Amino acid sequence: MDNAGYTTLTRQSGLKREMTVLANNIANAATTGYRAGGITFSEFIKSAPGTESISMATANVQTTSMEQGALKRTGGTFDFAVEGAGFFMVQTPDGDRLTRAGAFTPNENGDLVNMDGHLVLDGGGAPIFIPPDATGVDVASDGTFSVDGLPIGQIGLYKPLNPLDLKRETGVLFDAPDGVEPVEEGRVLQGFLENSNVNPILQMSRMIHVQRAYEMGQTFLENEHSRIRDAVKTFVK
Amino acid sequence: MRALTIAATGMSAQQLRVETISNNLANMSTTGYNARRAEFADLHYQQVSRAGAISSADGSVLPTGVQVGLGVRPSAITVQLEQGSLSNTGGDLDVAIEGKGYLEVTLPSGQSAYSRDGGLKRSADGLIVTSDGYSVVPEITIPVDARSISINGDGEVYAYFADTPDAELLGQFTLASFSNAKGLEAIGGNLFVETEASGAPVISTPGEDGLGTLRQGYLEDSSVDAVREVTELIEAQRGYEMNAKVITAADQMMAATAQVR
Repeated sequence: MDNAGYTTLTRQSGLKREMTVLANNIANAATTGYRAGGITFSEFIKSAPGTESISMATANVQTTSMEQGALKRTGGTFDFAVEGAGFFMVQTPDGDRLTRAGAFTPNENGDLVNMDGHLVLDGGGAPIFIPPDATGVDVASDGTFSVDGLPIGQIGLYKPLNPLDLKRETGVLFDAPDGVEPVEEGRVLQGFLENSNVNPILQMSRMIHVQRAYEMGQTFLENEHSRIRDAVKTFVK
Repeated sequence: MRALTIAATGMSAQQLRVETISNNLANMSTTGYNARRAEFADLHYQQVSRAGAISSADGSVLPTGVQVGLGVRPSAITVQLEQGSLSNTGGDLDVAIEGKGYLEVTLPSGQSAYSRDGGLKRSADGLIVTSDGYSVVPEITIPVDARSISINGDGEVYAYFADTPDAELLGQFTLASFSNAKGLEAIGGNLFVETEASGAPVISTPGEDGLGTLRQGYLEDSSVDAVREVTELIEAQRGYEMNAKVITAADQMMAATAQVR
């Protein structure tokens, strides 16, 4: 009976979900290598026999912005940024994961790890060993590591086979269940980190939009509520 | 309303950033200090609808699904290992380390600590100690009648006496290095102690194994870059304000919900 209310409800819960996504983007505006997320509404049509169909709005499509984030110069020997396409690959207990956060450091054994202690992998999927007595570590733009002028390995750049099917995980990681392939044309910059690609202006204006749309929905529900109440009153009299 | 708690994680992250920056700026003139940087990572994700879930009877699947992130967490505060510039002090026991090594000192507890602060002093009985009075390893004692002392790049300490032209070798400094110097634990007083993450120290003489050499009469300045810190501070402050704005917006949405009856 109260189809207008239910249709608005789907819209409202979708807006609340979008608000959550926006809040997460803004909270991660300073997270190295973070990719902004978005949500798209899609129409969900319910055909009711005998009457006109009802179309509901569900927010069930997720988007991930793959825009390049700004590069920030840190000067750190083991700080890397990817310019253009490609992800670093790290080994986690749950499997290999992609990441754009290139703040690495050698661990107690001399293997290159990220800030959560996961091993960073080279083009062949093996860890990268930095000799402890190395004085100068240089990384060429194709990711080749050289220590005191001698090449010792190459940091691997990968991309997901299916870019739509990326699952986010904590630690700025992405899981690519459909597999990955090496990237040839990627460029690695040493001494830089890639900022989060969250555009604060866009997020804030979108947030205002979501908030106002939500309030409009609530006003609509309120009007609908008083309309039905008035109708019931009229009939009861 | 998850937006409220998410924005709260964002605010505490930015606050941590401001705290890190303020500590860096406070240590702008601390000998051998390296700037710290707060690193963040996203928190866990809640699966609202799973990618690959079947969306209709003919077997088509959701291509992306919906994952809602739950905010941000600090992942590390890393030391930005950088050689600070050297300033000339002229002190005969001021040694700057040009390279990545650390001086080893013995704490009163007997534990070893490591430092890049080469502003050394001598104790009442001639022992070379740090500003806090902790003895440097290996222990080197300067005789009372030494006219002057000289420390060369390899860390050898020579004393000159009034009655002989030849210098006497008193001892040689050693330097320690770590596989992961960022993993050292700072205990204050320009001192670090070894942790599981740093690996065991590799002790060697200056000039070997890429540890760097010593330079007498100089001290290593703090490597804090004030311009970079202040820029970061502005960013952090604006980030904090934006997260606060999210809280306001989420609150107003909740108020709109509460008004409906």
